[in-house]
Amino acid sequence: MEKQPIVELRQLSKTIGKKKIIDNLNLQLYPGQITGFLGPNGAGKTTTIRMMAGLMRPTSGEVFVEGQSVTEHFEETMSKVGVIVENPEMYKYMSGWKNLLHFARMNKSVTKERITEVVEQVGMQNRIHEKVSKYSLGMRQRLGLAQALLHRPKFLILDEPTNGLDPAGIREFRAHLRKIAIEDGVSVFVSSHLLSEIELMCDRIAVIQNGQLIDIREMNQVEEAHYYIEAQPAEQARELLTARGLSLEVSGAGFITKVEQEKIPELIHLMVEANIQVFAVQPYRKTLEDQFLEMTGGGQIAESHTK
Amino acid sequence: MLNLIRNEWMKLWHKKATWIMTIILVIMLIGIAGIMKWATSNMQQAEETHSWEENLAENQAMLKAELSNPNIGKAEKESLEEELALTEYRLDNNRAPLDPNSRESYVVNSHSMLSMVTLFVVIAAASIVATEFSQGTIKMLLSRPVKRWKILTSKYLTSILFALFLIVVAIVSTIIAGYLFYDSSGGSLLEYKAGSVVEISYWGRVLTLYGLQFVGVLIYTTFAFMMGSVFRSSSLAIGLSIFLLFMGPNVVFFLSRFEFTKYILFTHTDLTGYITGNMFIQGISMPFSIAVLAVYVLIFLVISYWSFIRRDVTA
Repeated sequence: MEKQPIVELRQLSKTIGKKKIIDNLNLQLYPGQITGFLGPNGAGKTTTIRMMAGLMRPTSGEVFVEGQSVTEHFEETMSKVGVIVENPEMYKYMSGWKNLLHFARMNKSVTKERITEVVEQVGMQNRIHEKVSKYSLGMRQRLGLAQALLHRPKFLILDEPTNGLDPAGIREFRAHLRKIAIEDGVSVFVSSHLLSEIELMCDRIAVIQNGQLIDIREMNQVEEAHYYIEAQPAEQARELLTARGLSLEVSGAGFITKVEQEKIPELIHLMVEANIQVFAVQPYRKTLEDQFLEMTGGGQIAESHTK
Repeated sequence: MLNLIRNEWMKLWHKKATWIMTIILVIMLIGIAGIMKWATSNMQQAEETHSWEENLAENQAMLKAELSNPNIGKAEKESLEEELALTEYRLDNNRAPLDPNSRESYVVNSHSMLSMVTLFVVIAAASIVATEFSQGTIKMLLSRPVKRWKILTSKYLTSILFALFLIVVAIVSTIIAGYLFYDSSGGSLLEYKAGSVVEISYWGRVLTLYGLQFVGVLIYTTFAFMMGSVFRSSSLAIGLSIFLLFMGPNVVFFLSRFEFTKYILFTHTDLTGYITGNMFIQGISMPFSIAVLAVYVLIFLVISYWSFIRRDVTA
């Protein structure tokens, strides 16, 4: 984590009318890292992303890419950024190839060979010369990714990237992101409604609510040692465990408790000695969703999760 | 910039509407010529034909009779004298006028058909910015390492390029129609300049008329372009521009007795009036018109750029 951040949001704020949409956002994004951007609907995810992509002007504060301000050095900074904002809207009346050619011409260093390379990378070589209007949503997402990768960006912004992809497509997409993050050291910033998606894809998550960043955490930090213990009779087990100084949380037929791994054999031994029947002792991983609901106070994400 | 214009040109020609407009333009220009020829040839059969000398001699006698009337005003007298001078020049030097049913006069008179070009270019210019917004592609276009003013400039230049292209198509179609339906008749064009009669070149006249029409096309293009970038909706921009295109000249006609009409855009959009003598507003001259038009174009462009560069993209 000693690396220099590629992208930095400094005190970013956006006011539309009298409403403060984004309030004093500070965030650093590092090379090789995939950062998830989570928040209930209307929390300001899209507005933040639009400001990072140069589509909206911050009311105050700035976005820096490798130390340069996006508003002041628009061309230099944007040549390092690849963007998919919501659905990748392409020119439907042209072929996928012509679309890519169009965007390639807007960057200085993209050659035809590079276009071919990217097309192969996203697996579209068979249908690239068909009109975009004939593509499925999944195909359009791939084309969207292709246009974002054309100029080998150092920073990739993706807004709801797996929208419309089938499970196999999502998996492939995930592998792809990993690959470019690890091999090319690209910093990736992904917003999504799908918590399970973010969980599988990201190294780090940033949570936004009502325009304010409420939490940034590393994903491995999430896997604190929690264990699920199921034993009978339950009352006796509870007494024994609380006597050892553990706090228990009832979950289904058993308990969840925070305990270090080394202590597990000892605990099992104690329970067996006390004639308690042990059915299960297993590591328990809190899902991101549980944590998310804890953080945001629950409720709002429920409907968006089903999307 | 060249790459950006290539992009816009490519997008323009991948839209079906562009092809349809171009084809309609060619069909209409050639078709209308055919219908006109058919109509006039039906009418003329009954009439007996005079030679141009006989016609002009008759005209000369008439003009002289009118000039001998002591009650005519000064302005009217001047224009009658001008016409008389031209008529006498033709008779003295054996210079036939253009036969109204000849290929030459058809091509000269068709410059007014360019209002069709205006219509089509207005549609293209109004939608070149607006459709990017309505289809959501603007997000893709503006998140590139290219400043917004460059993108807007490439779109404006492409609109003008398209206008030029359609004008060339219109001229070529008109000439083709001329060759298909009319015969050449020779004849020459005369002009009364500073007290004497001069002969002017035919193609010079054609180019001047079409060139002046192009200025009008350019004004409407800029106007429609502004509409598109301000309203970000192609239907609204096209609708409003076409409405003004048709209403403007009528409004000017109704207001023609007021002094401020001199400063209304639509008074000046048809500059060919200075050549053909159809200017119905008094007290304005070509340089004045050009100055007024330049001010309007500048205002339209400032509004377009300001709106395109400053506003957030929320589409």
